[in-house]
Amino acid sequence: MKKQVFDLKGEMSLLTVLVLHSTDRHAISASLEEKQQQASQFLARSPIIIDCQLLGESGLELNFAELKMSLGKVGFVPVGLRNLVEAAEPSAIEAGWALLRPSKQQVSQNPPPPTEVNLELEQPSSVQRLLVLDRPVRSGQQVYCPHGDIVVLQHTSAGSELLAGGSVHVYGALRGRVLAGVQGDTQARIFCERLEAELIAIAGRYRLLDDIESNLKGQAVMIYLDQEKLKIVPI
Amino acid sequence: MSRIVVVTSGKGGVGKTTTSAAFATGLALKGYKTAVIDFDVGLRNLDLIMGCERRVVYDFINVISGEANIKQALIKDKRSDNLFILPASQTRDKDALTQEGVEQVLKDLTDDGFDFIICDSPAGIERGAALAMHFADDAVIVTNPEVSSVRDSDRILGLLQSRTRKAERGESIREHLLITRYSPARVASGDMLAMEDILEILAVPLIGVIPESGSVLQASNSGVPVIIDKESTAGQAYDDFVRRFLGETVPHRFLEVEKKGLFKRLFGG
Repeated sequence: MKKQVFDLKGEMSLLTVLVLHSTDRHAISASLEEKQQQASQFLARSPIIIDCQLLGESGLELNFAELKMSLGKVGFVPVGLRNLVEAAEPSAIEAGWALLRPSKQQVSQNPPPPTEVNLELEQPSSVQRLLVLDRPVRSGQQVYCPHGDIVVLQHTSAGSELLAGGSVHVYGALRGRVLAGVQGDTQARIFCERLEAELIAIAGRYRLLDDIESNLKGQAVMIYLDQEKLKIVPI
Repeated sequence: MSRIVVVTSGKGGVGKTTTSAAFATGLALKGYKTAVIDFDVGLRNLDLIMGCERRVVYDFINVISGEANIKQALIKDKRSDNLFILPASQTRDKDALTQEGVEQVLKDLTDDGFDFIICDSPAGIERGAALAMHFADDAVIVTNPEVSSVRDSDRILGLLQSRTRKAERGESIREHLLITRYSPARVASGDMLAMEDILEILAVPLIGVIPESGSVLQASNSGVPVIIDKESTAGQAYDDFVRRFLGETVPHRFLEVEKKGLFKRLFGG
């Protein structure tokens, strides 16, 4: 009998998305280098998706090989292109790019699309290991600490989102979405005083609270990853 | 220095303009020189509620675009010498609002010696709402006891903490929660969110609860801010709210279902 050497899985991971506004290759590599100087560790070896939606037809003018090179030069690992105009696809494939389906075409059983992170918002000068918030995280707010833990001293609201490379601690009701270990850290955990979250995820494995045993709702809990399963235990 | 207060909510129809009118009138009647600005460009309403729609010559946009000066555009209220209304434009669209223009108008009003400037925000989170809150020192968040209104208020609270000038300077806006259209009977029957539940979700200091009252609609239609109506529960609750805003300690009223007295029970009421 043949021994199984791998599993092939569809999983949700957090990726940085670069939304191109222009096809000007010089301008792109110049701004990339500028970004790198501002936040070299933040970018280092992070996988990245290029979104071409804003380019429309002008996507044809892109030099795909050069784009890949300039991204690599500043430390990104280019993963693929999305929302590229169809006519430009052959030259992109030739340059070795993967083409990703536009997120809206995904069927509902699939994992949610990668969360977009606006590069403008996050420019830490050094790697942040801990982010402490002393105000409630409100509906519509997204808090992202790519390489550290998030501690919220108040509640988080329905419609808010916490994304941490490490663990998340909420000293109040946890009502929004919470994603720990977004860079793939399976050791990351989530702690909260009152579990009322909409979605919980650790290292890409996610669950909606709708599925979760109702006796844990409203409880103080710890959430961790046991093999491939999200475990929720009262604390 | 003027104190700039935005009246905002996210959701429409919860009572922002009614509140702005009552609030500004209440402050003026207590002796403070007050201006109230309608930021809802294209959907002018405040002048109707204040009963000055027939006296609008120039509006906020005229001032911003330099077609009129602030003195020409301010309408003096009939009931108080301390109260001035700056109406929105009904014909222009909201793109005519600019941050520099708004800042200049607020500066002119400050230089003019106004104690309070009330900014009546439009619904939504777009340009008009963003500019109404941008320069504020205080925010009155108007919420109805209903889940979508509470959710939208929560969103607005997030924006107040991140998109305003105070937030950009690392300070924070003073937040005050005002619950309007509160009906203790419907809370008791479970149709409506209770005050405690709203406070639990929003975690913002409560400054007032305005009971649901027919006199609000009546007041709006006749162009008289409801705070003038001392008989109505809503008018009294708005007066309490203004006093609390000015720093007085006033107990909350109208939170319980009104019990019918013996007389009413015997003879109906």
